[in-house]
Amino acid sequence: MKVLIKKAKINDPASPFHNSTKDILVENGIIRAIDSSITEPADEVVDIPNLSVSPGWMDVFAHFCDPGIEHKETLATGAAAAAAGGFTTVMVLPNTKPVIDTKSQVEYIVRASERLPAQILPIGAITRKTEGKELAEMYDMHASGAAAFSDGLHPMQSSGILLKGLQYVKAFDGVILQLPDDESIAAHGLVNEGIISTRLGLPGKPSIAEELIVSRDIQLAKYTDSRVHFTGISTPKSVALIKEAKEHGVKVTCSVAPYHLALCDEDLMQYDTNLKVNPPLRTREDMEALRVAVAEGVIDCIATHHLPQDYDAKVLEFEYAKDGMIGLETCYSILRTYLPQLQEERIVELLSVNPRKIFDQPVSINVDQKASLTLYQPDEQYTFAQKNIASKCNNTPFIGKAFVGKVAGTVYGKKLSLNQ
Amino acid sequence: MQLSTKHLLGIRDLVPNDIQIILDTAAQFKEVLQRPIKKVPSLRDVTIVNLFYENSTRTRISFELAEKRLSADTINFTASGSSVKKGETLLDTVNNILSMKVDLVVMRHSASGAPHFLAKHIPAAIVNAGDGINEHPTQALLDAFSIREKLGTLQGKKIALLGDIMHSRVALSNIYLLKKMGAEVMVAGPPTLIPKYMQQAFDVHVEYDLKTALEWCDVANVLRIQLERQNQVLFSSLREYNLQYGVKRSLLDNLNKEIVIMHPGPINRGVELDSDVADSKQSIILQQVENGVAVRMAVLYLLAGGKTIQN
Repeated sequence: MKVLIKKAKINDPASPFHNSTKDILVENGIIRAIDSSITEPADEVVDIPNLSVSPGWMDVFAHFCDPGIEHKETLATGAAAAAAGGFTTVMVLPNTKPVIDTKSQVEYIVRASERLPAQILPIGAITRKTEGKELAEMYDMHASGAAAFSDGLHPMQSSGILLKGLQYVKAFDGVILQLPDDESIAAHGLVNEGIISTRLGLPGKPSIAEELIVSRDIQLAKYTDSRVHFTGISTPKSVALIKEAKEHGVKVTCSVAPYHLALCDEDLMQYDTNLKVNPPLRTREDMEALRVAVAEGVIDCIATHHLPQDYDAKVLEFEYAKDGMIGLETCYSILRTYLPQLQEERIVELLSVNPRKIFDQPVSINVDQKASLTLYQPDEQYTFAQKNIASKCNNTPFIGKAFVGKVAGTVYGKKLSLNQ
Repeated sequence: MQLSTKHLLGIRDLVPNDIQIILDTAAQFKEVLQRPIKKVPSLRDVTIVNLFYENSTRTRISFELAEKRLSADTINFTASGSSVKKGETLLDTVNNILSMKVDLVVMRHSASGAPHFLAKHIPAAIVNAGDGINEHPTQALLDAFSIREKLGTLQGKKIALLGDIMHSRVALSNIYLLKKMGAEVMVAGPPTLIPKYMQQAFDVHVEYDLKTALEWCDVANVLRIQLERQNQVLFSSLREYNLQYGVKRSLLDNLNKEIVIMHPGPINRGVELDSDVADSKQSIILQQVENGVAVRMAVLYLLAGGKTIQN
């Protein structure tokens, strides 16, 4: 099986071909040749105008709901959604049924993903059943392929257990992911606490619930000299705390969800349940500050927070609707559309270079390397539609939105995925 | 005379002229209600369903009476003892009822935004009879009607909303309405029961001292402590609440003016309001209830696209 990609601008700072426009030949999943003009016959020829190619993108926080919640997503539909969004590697949440808290659960995902068009890396639970009480068998899960550890949608509340967890993963230089949220503050909050929540008569969740955990976990990371990755950072204060910690050499990194860069609480005036997410959409000022932090480099990467919810979980009263938004398919277009000031190189850093560095999943565009490539058209304009969604669920407010920047497809090993 | 909106989801969506129209129409209905024959044929052949997903006595009876006085056909629905208990969704329940040709839905629901959700999915007009901690628009309208009746106008009057602001949909609707009609508003109560962004969200005065609030206002609208909506501990005990924030005779006697006392009911006597205040001549609590029927008649009549009020 040969795939020939014609005239693609290579965007890979680690590659000798960086910033040059080349043809790339992939044979049986391996990059065989990179040259100005390759004429060798191939099974598939990809010839798309104004095409860029970068090392495959990696998402560090997506929910594929498999096993146990397959009516929302499966590993297969999730991988298809990843490929449609340009991601060749996805770290998936442990909040399945059962929870990913043992070797066999990790192996199920690793094995099932072998035949899929994207690499799926399980995030193992820190504690059994993500109950926040007893440490799960993280050595065993790490050895079986868990890429990082987190209790996912149930952020670790106990300082004591998290401290032990951070010490425990040091043995293999592991990373603990935390969705920072102090659940004892405004446990019933549905949206960001502020002027909008007050006007809408919806219970609010204050920023401080996030910032307290960021602050605490920085202290724990410092004390244990272990690695923490915050995801879903949504306030300028969190950004400032992380920035300061990094300057002091604390091993913290962070990611933001695309929707926190595109939307704010002012968009909630019609009680659209697709906008019910956690952490909640913050204020316009928060959103704008976050955009600046992404551009300036304090934010290490973008995490899609792809959280599929079926029709019945979203088409009901706001209070009863489930949290989350699908995010893989729209991620790149959101960045291009809402942050037009971002340089292409910075986008590749956010989507590929940094997450792959933090979670130790290197890829490179060079001869004899395994193919993990994302193909995209930075200036292509299109209207996001139902047909662009490969996920099982449609819970996104972006259907009908005019976007700049389109993903053309991916090559992951022997698998070529092309969007329409 | 037509409202700018198809539904009454909240006062938030109304323009001052809508409020004026409703209050003026209500005044006409109040006059009708003084006649020996209180029934008018305005909503003959209009079918209204009263969907109560949450308990209610006053509001439900008031709506039902308003509907009957207007000659509408009514159906009553309560969540307990219905298909809701069997797991039916709100949308399914309503669509099933609507397929039986219902024109108007009056709904009370424990979730904020539930009527807004419904409005996006069904063709019938919706009257919000209270949603979660969001709005209770007909209560605010009847409160405004009662204040106007008592003081002649809302413009420039000082209204204090006292007590549990955080869990009160009456508070939010009152604030929207009073601000739109040119009144000055203060909220007063324990800091744990007043949302943090109240002042920024509505440009209202925020006060934690009851005596100061009473000295400031022309009208004190005392809100019910929503015992059923307290999902965490927000004050230490009912006894202490009464000591700090209960409206008492002695407090009122020490003011050098007579203020109007209101309460949306049901009263927790001896908690937010003492009996010798609730039952005094300063209190217009029972007038509020009486006016509720006329105000709800006006709302239903206007939303049903009413013909002229017939004699």
